[in-house]
Amino acid sequence: MLMLMHVINMGHDVYKANDKVAEKNRKKLDKHQVFSVNVMGAIGSGKTTLIEEAIRQLKDKYKIAVIAGDVIAEMDSSRFRKLDVPTIPVNTGKECHLDAKLVEKALDEIDLDNTDLLLIENVGNLICPVDFKLGEHLRVVIVSVTEGDDIILKHPMIFKTAELAVINKVDIAHAVDVDAEKMRDDILSLNPNVPVILTSKHDWESLETWISFIELGVKEVQKK
Amino acid sequence: MHELSIACEILEQVMATATEHGATEVKHVTLQIGRLSHTNPEQLSFCFKAIAEDSIAKDADFIVEMIPPSLECECGYTGPIDEKQIQENCGFTSELLAYAAVMDCPICGKHARITGGRELIIKSIEIETENQD
Repeated sequence: MLMLMHVINMGHDVYKANDKVAEKNRKKLDKHQVFSVNVMGAIGSGKTTLIEEAIRQLKDKYKIAVIAGDVIAEMDSSRFRKLDVPTIPVNTGKECHLDAKLVEKALDEIDLDNTDLLLIENVGNLICPVDFKLGEHLRVVIVSVTEGDDIILKHPMIFKTAELAVINKVDIAHAVDVDAEKMRDDILSLNPNVPVILTSKHDWESLETWISFIELGVKEVQKK
Repeated sequence: MHELSIACEILEQVMATATEHGATEVKHVTLQIGRLSHTNPEQLSFCFKAIAEDSIAKDADFIVEMIPPSLECECGYTGPIDEKQIQENCGFTSELLAYAAVMDCPICGKHARITGGRELIIKSIEIETENQD
């Protein structure tokens, strides 16, 4: 029997397929006037802590929901639930990032009519979440000084595509021999227009700056 | 490490197209990968072979074409980045950083928006079919 060879054109973009679901998520969030934040950053950068602080300060003013993505999501979820906000744990299993489909499923479990702000904690790492949009309004990357001041240039794309960059734990920068200002300069060299804020959980003023950024977004979306 | 889930997606898409065209074997899968995406072609190929073991795509080879980044600037420029600058940036420790560092408009020098270079496209497959004639 004669075998024939064919070339079949496909043109299927794997990331675009994710982007399409992300767009759907975004439309859904817009329709319900929910401002959503994708919080990315390495393990131990302080994502959960900074989200907790934002919840504490904003929960009397706005209705907040949280999606907690992690390899085992139950641990962070229980921290958020203690603050009395609806929390959806999303176990990613062996996966190193949240994707738009996982968020789409989680959105089904949230009462969006009764939500003003959705905080999404991504899986802790600086690489995998970059390529997967979720449909968020604000992409935040949190980096801590304990990661070393060369961490930014080692992970350019996450800082390049972030819409807000937070350098956390600056109170211990000296102890770990890191220059937080160098980190800020590195971020701005990659992404000159991104707002960069320096935070520490022990410095109330710095937390206020972080929280005011989120509140600004909530107000923006509610105006529409 | 998300190459495994991407390999699953690729296998699913490849098998759907191959079956639709009556393939008996998938010989090649041509992928286009953006230089700014975080996908490792070798790992992807390894994962693909592992999951395609029992399928007609088990011996398929990957052909990978890398896509350079492209930009859109407020001055009106749309097009590729300045490749010459990449060569000047060879002192950078990583290719990704070298690319990320030259995202300025090659015409006016302003910070430009990235419009391409983050793709992962299954461009085409080469399949074998039985001649029915």
